[in-house]
Amino acid sequence: MSFWEARFLWQEPMLAAAIGAALLGYLGFFVVLRRIAFMSAALSQVSGLGVAVAFWVGSFAGVSPHEATPLWLSPGLYAFLFAAAGAGVMSLPSRSRRVTPESAVALAYLASSALVMVVLSSPRIAQEAHEVGDLLFGNAVTVSRDDLYELAVAAVVTLIAHGLFFKELLFSSFDADTARVSGVPVRRMGLLLHLTLALGVAVATRALGALPVFAFLVLPAGAALLFSERLKVVLVLSVVISVLCGTLGYYLSWTLSLPTGSLMVSLAALVWTAAGLKRLVDKLRRAA
Amino acid sequence: MSSLVSFEQVSIGHRRGEALLPPISWSIGRGDLIGVLGPNGSGKSTFLKTLLGLLPPLAGRVVHPQGRPPRLGYVPQSARPDFAYPLSVLQVVLMGRAAQLGLVRRPGHSDVAVARRQLEAVGLGALADQPFRSLSGGQQQRALVARALAAEPELLVLDEPTSEMDPAAEHALLSLVGSLTRSRDVGVIFVTHEISSAAGFGRGAVLVDRRAQYFEAGLATELITSERMSRLYGRPIEVRREGDRVLVWLAAHHEETR
Repeated sequence: MSFWEARFLWQEPMLAAAIGAALLGYLGFFVVLRRIAFMSAALSQVSGLGVAVAFWVGSFAGVSPHEATPLWLSPGLYAFLFAAAGAGVMSLPSRSRRVTPESAVALAYLASSALVMVVLSSPRIAQEAHEVGDLLFGNAVTVSRDDLYELAVAAVVTLIAHGLFFKELLFSSFDADTARVSGVPVRRMGLLLHLTLALGVAVATRALGALPVFAFLVLPAGAALLFSERLKVVLVLSVVISVLCGTLGYYLSWTLSLPTGSLMVSLAALVWTAAGLKRLVDKLRRAA
Repeated sequence: MSSLVSFEQVSIGHRRGEALLPPISWSIGRGDLIGVLGPNGSGKSTFLKTLLGLLPPLAGRVVHPQGRPPRLGYVPQSARPDFAYPLSVLQVVLMGRAAQLGLVRRPGHSDVAVARRQLEAVGLGALADQPFRSLSGGQQQRALVARALAAEPELLVLDEPTSEMDPAAEHALLSLVGSLTRSRDVGVIFVTHEISSAAGFGRGAVLVDRRAQYFEAGLATELITSERMSRLYGRPIEVRREGDRVLVWLAAHHEETR
């Protein structure tokens, strides 16, 4: 069966990869410039913990991870709520000089990664743990219709919120002091950004997996910033690079029978390296 | 001279902290040009933040005699804006319109016109479409002054705008600010480490020292003297005025140990 003939098999995962990559590629602009790459990685883990807790709570209600769940037990909802709470906590201004922001982020990453294992080993859901692992962190190969809808909703919500407040998000990221003096609600804008990030990460992690999500949040925007000095070009390029790596990665994994997520990440890393090399060559040429 | 902001027995300090200085009664109005001097950690920034409304007073009242806070133009410490952002000079200056635009609304043609006019005024008209990060340090500071002026401020606040610049660049920037604001009926206050800048460009002066619990405001010619500067910075400093020029010497400190 050719790739095209098999399209009923890959249409949905491919679309999910494209939507997720576009959303993350855009958010990556702020992730890279605000230097919160590791916060986004931590949010992936925290959202995974949310999924694990949803299954654990569901086990009391006698719901198996493979059955349709009522909304109040929906793993997607728990993933988002956990990630949003994590994002909220990580948005709090650090009052103590002894707790550096990175160490708080590392704590969130480590604690949630470890707790996922603890929750999954609970005798209540241990027999399901193998499948739950995939449900937690996705595999980008099989994507459910629900995942696709959730991704589309996350993308639309982010588009609206950022479409309305892009000016404020940009100003408060670029120069928080002056933005505050100009009446921009800097703290609330930070929270808005972190909540949309939590939403995108929570939904995309379940569809694509934690590693591709981290990669799409950091590498395309990083490459775009190396390629261009223009705001609009950087934003468009970041989304385009991300979508290309997502869809091409999926296609190549199909035709070459290689792991999907890893191929997406490798492609994104390749683009970043190319951008870095181009930058280096430009610099050398200017110096010569 | 109409007052823009008045402090009535204001205690400044960080939220839930102790007052840094004795209660301050002071005001700034249109046409004022005030330099703020004080050693590191003396409370200059806290004073400025209270003036800007970023910190509430711990006691006393900050009064706006116009019945509303003045429109503010703000030039931050030179290292503050993040130079990794892919922004053109014009895009940076347009941020100065944020207060006029309010939330959500995007800058329109008239905002772009204002921004371009301010860039012309600081001599950067030709560089409007260049990347902000490609400018030299002095040009970036001038662009940030243009951004502050794009807010059409009644009160212009410069918080050590030149802390990473050499004294010549600082003088150039402050004389630019002085000439640009003279005709606009704007109150200007700037924090600086250069005594000669405060004495040379400020008509008024504010001296702050938390450790000595000292706050004094008045005319620059009366406050920026050898005796007061030596006390403020804890080392022998000599200030001499020759016509328009102000000369400042820092005498070697005998007891200084390294």
